[in-house]
Amino acid sequence: MDITTADREGKIVLSVTGRVDTSTAPELEQAINRQIDDQKRQILLNFAGVTYISSGGLRVLLATAKKLKNPGDKFGLCCLAPEVLKILKLAGFTSIFAIYPSEGEALAGW
Amino acid sequence: MPAGDDQLASLVWQPIPGADGAVIYPLIRKIDTISSNSYLIATADALILLDPGGIADQVEAFSKIIQTCREEKDRPVFVFLTHAHIDHFIGVQSVPAFAYAKAVIFAVQEAGAVALEQGDGGITQGTLLNTPVTPMNIALPLLTRNRSSCQGIPGHLAFPNGAEITITRDTLGDAPVTMDRETIRFGPGPELEVYHTPGHSPDSICIRMGSHLFCGDLLFAASPGIAGLTGWSQENLVRSLTGIGSLLSHGGITRVCPGHGRVITAPDAIRMVAAVKKEALALDDIAELNSERAAWAAEFAEDSMEQVNELFTVMAGRLFYVSYVMDELGESDLAEKTTSLMREDVVDELLLAFRDFAGEHHQRGDAVSMHLALKAGQVIAKLQRSFAQDDLARIIDPDLALRASRLLSDYTTTLRGFTPPCEIAVCEIRSLIEALVTGLAVPACSDEDLLSSGDDEEAFAQILLSRIGTRPILEDVEVVFHAENSEFNALVDRDRLTDLLTYIVEDLVGTMTGQIRIELMNREEKITLTFSGDIPQGGVSYEPRTARFLKGLAQRAGGSLVIQSDGGIQMFEISVPAIL
Repeated sequence: MDITTADREGKIVLSVTGRVDTSTAPELEQAINRQIDDQKRQILLNFAGVTYISSGGLRVLLATAKKLKNPGDKFGLCCLAPEVLKILKLAGFTSIFAIYPSEGEALAGW
Repeated sequence: MPAGDDQLASLVWQPIPGADGAVIYPLIRKIDTISSNSYLIATADALILLDPGGIADQVEAFSKIIQTCREEKDRPVFVFLTHAHIDHFIGVQSVPAFAYAKAVIFAVQEAGAVALEQGDGGITQGTLLNTPVTPMNIALPLLTRNRSSCQGIPGHLAFPNGAEITITRDTLGDAPVTMDRETIRFGPGPELEVYHTPGHSPDSICIRMGSHLFCGDLLFAASPGIAGLTGWSQENLVRSLTGIGSLLSHGGITRVCPGHGRVITAPDAIRMVAAVKKEALALDDIAELNSERAAWAAEFAEDSMEQVNELFTVMAGRLFYVSYVMDELGESDLAEKTTSLMREDVVDELLLAFRDFAGEHHQRGDAVSMHLALKAGQVIAKLQRSFAQDDLARIIDPDLALRASRLLSDYTTTLRGFTPPCEIAVCEIRSLIEALVTGLAVPACSDEDLLSSGDDEEAFAQILLSRIGTRPILEDVEVVFHAENSEFNALVDRDRLTDLLTYIVEDLVGTMTGQIRIELMNREEKITLTFSGDIPQGGVSYEPRTARFLKGLAQRAGGSLVIQSDGGIQMFEISVPAIL
């Protein structure tokens, strides 16, 4: 799994590629937490390159949603592959945080 | 490795109580299909290696230890096999000290000895695991037919390397449950007893020295993927388990050292023998586990594992979701209780381990499928223990837990050598679809249920959990159902057809947009059910493995499935036999 970070006028986009599973989820969690520790509280995960998410990955998404729920905080995902979108839909996660078709559409609304 | 009183420490010399100065140096491995445990016993008269294992490095390591022992005091070296399956011995064929030197005397029960001398791939499982077996010289065949007439009379045997033994044959127990035994003396030191315990294989033996019993694979012999191997016999296995159960009950044995996994106490072994016997008695008419069935099981394993992966991830996600909402409501106890229903970390690790194993398997270009089939069996057995189906079903969709359970059970059944049970019966397809769609569109717990439980705190909590955990996946999806004005009675396995349709609906909901169209038609001798949805721009890549899994499930449901992606539409067409 690879993560690249971009700061779009204070809004952080973490672009993730590869599998988010039990072995890589902690890395994703650390990358997110570093941003939150830096007081960056508008975080978008671009999952265009994510081919698989396991329950370990879901746990990280939920933990992040819990941390970013103050007024003004934003947390969302964009560009999901169909197989990842399917898991999030079936798990009921689509009602916890926003899912956008593209990075532009996500950031435009924040 | 530290060990308690009931354990042997791995890779440490330690005494064998009741065996007059004998010491043992065990290698206790994690259970796998590649190599067995090995046990080196040193007495004043001989060095005895039990089951050198399937890996050359393992054998090489023991070769060095044996060399050191011989430098301290030269003694003849014997290698006893609890049975001639390749994971117990094939490593010796790559280690010159064992492969070429006649200094090592191999001792194997007569049937195994014949197989090894001929390089037979059946009894040894070499053919099943695609591993050639080089013919070996077995200088000491055990429990031979020739010696059966010499009951109680010690025979003297001498070997070209100068070793000499006396061997005495007798029979334990009363007819019809008897067990052949040979007692071997290597000199004035402690003796070794060998019991013929066929069943797992015709040449299986248990070996006793002092308070230790080495039981080979006897305790695994009824397990899925092991029962049914070439040479396996249910009748012999049950008889052998009875004999060994009786031997253990007579006392004197404190530790039972299996061919794989940790050493167990005699009381635990007695319980396990009884459990294995019960399991073995239920294994009538299982198919032989040959290369073809292993390949088929491995394919089924990989296909099923994709779905298992998805189902468990969704179930874990649902539990996380419930826990999250409970936390938001300040119900942290309930939140914690919810997540404890499934060890998602364990599940994740198991599924990842299987994926890595399968990846390495394919990367090596192995034609061998048996290891993969058995690995899947191991993972699935652990998965079955990792979630509480009934408790889960009270919170998340019962259908999810039930489907996961059915999938795991189908694989175990297949690996066992049985066909997964199909209950083909007459079913009215229109009502089945209507019930399915309603079930997937309406919350399991109504507002009324919630309100009426308000006076009972526990019932309210349970209904609240269930309401949050149950996601009617068709809630926001438009379903257009068109059926001809006709009877739709078909011969199908209702549960499996429902599973198939649920997988299809989930797939459409998960990856499509907007609307699901269902069409039901009666065409002479068959009924066709067509489920379709629009594919989003860019299309959906449909995994061949998923397609194969769904088609297999359609067959087990009593029908067939065609999957098509055409002109922006994903379509699943299921045909089932109609009752005219």
